[in-house]
Order: sequence, then C-alpha cells, then structure tokens
Amino acid sequence: MFRSLLVVLGILTGVVGCGQVPEGEKIIKIAVVCPLTGDIAAMGQGMKRGAEMAVEEANATGKLGGIKLELAAFDDRADPKEAVNVANQVISDTKIVGVIGHLNSGCSIPASQIYAKRNLLMMTPASTNPKLTLQGLKNVFRVCTTDDVQGSFGANYVLDKLKMTTAAVIHDKTAYGQGLAEEFKKQFESRGGKIMSFDGINIGDKDFRALLVRIKNEKPQILYFGGMYSECGLITRQAKELGLPVPVVSGDGIFTPEYIKIGGKSTEGDYASMIGMPPENLPAAKTFMDKFKAKYPEVDMQPYDPYTYEATGMLIEAIEKTNKEPLKIVDYVSKIKYAGILGETTFDEKGDTLNKTISIYQVKDGKFVYCE
Amino acid sequence: MFIEQLVNGLTLGSIYALFALGYTMVYGILLMINFAHSEIFMVGAYIGFWMLSCLPIFAPQFLPAYFLIIFILSMLGAGLLAVMVERLSYKPLRKACRLAPLISAIGVSIFLQNLVMLTVSAQSQPYPEKLPIRQFHLFGVQISSLQIFIFGLAILLMIILRIFISRTKLGKAMRAVAENHTVAQLMGININTVISLVFLIGGGLGGIAGVLNGLYYGSIKYNMGFLPGIKAFTAAVLGGIGNIKGAMLGGFILGIVEALAAGYISSENKDVIAFVILILVLLFRPTGIFGEEVTEKI
Repeated sequence: MFRSLLVVLGILTGVVGCGQVPEGEKIIKIAVVCPLTGDIAAMGQGMKRGAEMAVEEANATGKLGGIKLELAAFDDRADPKEAVNVANQVISDTKIVGVIGHLNSGCSIPASQIYAKRNLLMMTPASTNPKLTLQGLKNVFRVCTTDDVQGSFGANYVLDKLKMTTAAVIHDKTAYGQGLAEEFKKQFESRGGKIMSFDGINIGDKDFRALLVRIKNEKPQILYFGGMYSECGLITRQAKELGLPVPVVSGDGIFTPEYIKIGGKSTEGDYASMIGMPPENLPAAKTFMDKFKAKYPEVDMQPYDPYTYEATGMLIEAIEKTNKEPLKIVDYVSKIKYAGILGETTFDEKGDTLNKTISIYQVKDGKFVYCE
Repeated sequence: MFIEQLVNGLTLGSIYALFALGYTMVYGILLMINFAHSEIFMVGAYIGFWMLSCLPIFAPQFLPAYFLIIFILSMLGAGLLAVMVERLSYKPLRKACRLAPLISAIGVSIFLQNLVMLTVSAQSQPYPEKLPIRQFHLFGVQISSLQIFIFGLAILLMIILRIFISRTKLGKAMRAVAENHTVAQLMGININTVISLVFLIGGGLGGIAGVLNGLYYGSIKYNMGFLPGIKAFTAAVLGGIGNIKGAMLGGFILGIVEALAAGYISSENKDVIAFVILILVLLFRPTGIFGEEVTEKI
C-alpha cells in the first residue's frame, strides 16, 4: 500500500516537474562552485559574479540557438569535506555540462576526482596548488598560474627588488597556503636567502601574538605569509602592534580590498603577488571592467572575477562549438585557443594554462597599487 | 620575551575568564551547559560594533564616558538576550530530562548564528578603531594600553562579581538556589528571578568579553563565538565547572598556557597542548583544579 502510494507520488511530481519547462527551450546548466558563505565568501561571491556575467551575455547574444544557459551556484564553504558533498550533488544533475570552481586548492583536489567519474569538465579560476593538475585527470583545467611560479616569483622579488635576505614564513596549513610558503622557502634558500622560521597556524585563529613575539626576536626583514586574507589581515595588524614593523609579503589569497579592511592602517606597505596582469593593463579587459562597473556599481571587484568570467567564457565556447555534446566538451577545451580578457589562453597536456604572468602589488593609501 | 608572552597570555586569559563565568554560573545553578553562550558573546560584540560605528567621534575628553556607555549598553543588551533565551528555550524544559535543554541550547546557538549571518553580514566586519591605543615600554617589554585596559577591566568586573555574590542578599539567594532548588524555594526565594539574574549577569559578562575581543583583534564575524566559546568552556572545566573562582583562574591559566605553547613550542599545535593539559587535569582531578567534592544529592 505504502509503496504504491510512493509510486503515485513519484509519477505526480514527475508530471509536475516536466510541466515547468516550456517546450522547445532546452536548458543546459553550468555549475559554479565556490565559498559563498564563510570566512572567504567575499572572493567566492566575486567568482559567482564573474560567471553570472558570462552566462547572461551568452544568453543575450543567442549564439547557442534554442538553448538557455543556466548558472547553478553551489556553496562549498571553503571546506574540503563540503566540497566533496557538493561535487556529488553536481554530478548527479545530468543537465550540468561543466563546473567552474573551486576556489581553494584544498577543495579542488578532492572534488576534481569526483567530477572525473563522469568526465565532467572542471575549470578552476583560482586554485593554484600544482598537485591539482598532477593527478593525471583529463577533465581538469586551470586558468590561473600555479604556486610554484608564484612562490618563487615572490622570493625573487624580495631578493632582487626589495634587497632583503632574511624572512620569516607563516602558512595556514592548507594545500594552497602551505604549498605557496614551501615554494617561496625553496627558492629563497636556493638563492642564498635565510629563512629564520617556518610556522603553521590554524584557520579561524585570531591570536597570533605569541608566535609574532617569537618571530620579532628573530629579527627578519620581511614576513612571508601563505594563506588567505582573513588570517593575514590579523597577522599584519598584530605584528605592527607588537613592534615588528616589517612588510608582509603574500600571494593572491590576500589580494582583495577585504584584506585592507581587516588589517586597517597596518597593511600599508605590504606586498601581494597576483596571477596574471592587472586587468586594467590589458586592452581586451577594458570592456570587461566597464561592463562590470555598469552592472555592479557598488561592488569592489575581487581578484577572481575576471578569471571566472574567462573560464566561463571558454566553457560556453566549448558548448557552442561541440554542438552541446557534453562528452566532447573536455576534448574541445584541451585544444582550445581562446582569445579573451586575459590574452590568449592555451592549455598544456596537464591542463595548466600556458599564460603564466605574475604581477606584484603594494598597499598604498589603503589600496593595492600595481608595482610590476 | 617570556614577559611579553605572559602579557599576551594574560590579555587572552582575561577575555576567556569573563567568557567562562557565564558557562560556570549557569552550570552551577541549572547543571546545564549553555551552548548558546558563545552566541551571546558574538551578539555583545555586534552591539558594541553598532554603537561604535553609528556614533560620531566625540571630543577626546568625552571618550571615557562614551566607552562607559557602550560597555554598559552592550552588557545590558547581551544580558537581556541571555535572559530571553532562558525564558523561551530552557525554562519550558526545566522539568524535562537533562539532555533536552542542552539540545535546545545548541539549537539556539545555530539559530542566532544564522540570524546574524543573514541579517547583518556573512563577512568579517572591521571593528571601528575609536579607542586611542598607545604603546608602552616597561622593563624592555612592549605593552599596549589596550592590553592593560582589558586586563584591568576584567579584574574589576570579577571583583565586583565576587562582592556581589558573597556580600549581597541576592548573591546569597543565588548560592542557595545553586545548592538546592526546592529548599531555596521553601525559604521564600523566587527561583525564577534568581535564574534570570544569573543569565543576566553571565550574559552581560559574555557580551563585554565580546566587545573586548572585537577591540583587541579588530574584526568580528557571525561565527566568532565558536572557537573562543570552546576555549572558555574548557577554562570553566579546567577550573572546576560550577565554581566561579575556578572559571576566573581557569581562563587565565588557559590563556597563559596557549601563549607560552605558541611562543616556545609550536604555534600550530598550541590548541593540542592546551587540551592535553585539560585532559591531564581531569584525569587526576575530575572535578577541575578548584572543583569541590559535591555530596551526592539523593
């Protein structure tokens, strides 16, 4: 009796579900998976904005024929466990033909293995840990440069441009933060720099004074941090309060206006390396910047908005050119030559972009200013 | 360096101790762990945040009065919220099994966290820097005026609390209710009033700990209460839960242990060290450092 009732219910919901889609219009979904809530939600919300812009534009031009693209946003809360749950949800939706995400390397690596089960395309605009593309998965692509490039770039910059030879390194024990810090250390030491100490901290901690007092006595010339802005903002503030007035150098994880909001005046003079050229220096990116300002006049652009826009654009081109066949999308992207807002992007056999520029920015008067 | 770490530990410990008092007082009187207390701490920080960001900058001579008002209002706001939580979610369950109010408390905690996340912001908010902070050099050690202020305020509030509990009539009533609800009621004490008072005081101290936490670290968030909440609860257990003197000293001990562990051993494992000490203390003194042997109630 109960079972037959369930069957009836199932049929009913099935009928109702079908009724909602207007005939003749097919829906294809793109998933964007990133932290929409939690500590680093500001960056995740930015990624969602970038993807939204690309999808809306594609729908407006009508180049996909009778197909309507839909963006399905998922929240991984920057938590690897949650990322795996969400990835399983994503592969169970057969309308989804590609994934844009995740933000954190620690989330991207386990989630990529789940997408690989269905050979579902995954393009990350932000995960920089080299391990992601070393897993031998065919479906994984990365639009941003990796930590080995970024970490050693940071080390060279400190040695060559800042002329400083001693550094204390702190990282947040994540795949991204620790990876970046280790690459920095390797390059810094191989070129004769001295690493005074190498310490991990816990994400979510607020008190770093005990560690910073110890580092202060080691008298480093700079502080290198591998991790995200929420911890780094507190570290730079506490370091300066304690009388350790050295600049903090970090990676793309702190390159956001939120960093300056949390760290306050103490962030003045800190450096952040960032993947790619500043969008305002690329002629192709100018239209993107203008469109962004027109659509979100009140919002500060976050670092990955343009990258997500670019990744989504590539996926849309793949959907268009492969005649909407999900199985061919991965093949198409592996051979893509995409001229977009970041310049021309092609991928190597691992799935990493060959467009590998790094820029460095310094905080001046409460803003990140491009140095080189 | 040792003295610097000690100063850091004492400041951290002051916040833990104020926070821990709320856990221990509620446990002393209701034998329940009030998991919503970490959210009272968070709401206190947000009340302070609103007042600091709404009000214009006054002339410096009004600054002490201005901060006094902010502290009093944040304490009141957080305390009244705690009383409301008790009335709505614990009081109806007072006769139920001991697990029921505990689960209700976890529910309240999740509710308040998400309420703030949805209505205020899911992002970290920078705490307004309106308190001028000066750095002092004492005996070759750098100490900020804020650290001295936090430590001083915490000690002052604890002294007031001790006097209140040991010298006043209401304090006596509180001790009586903690000892035995029924007998206290027979002596003409209104236990509902006393329980509300405990939540008001405990919540108020939690709220002010939240404001101090915001001033000290410079940023607040909807889930900021969770980690310090666990630490403060640990401090209460370390000192002997239900014992007010224990919570105060437990807070300071935990703060100092954490600072020294991070400074001398390893910053990534400072929590491991702090909790190992807790386990060791509980193995040898299950009632905590200052916990007293309680005769079994029959």
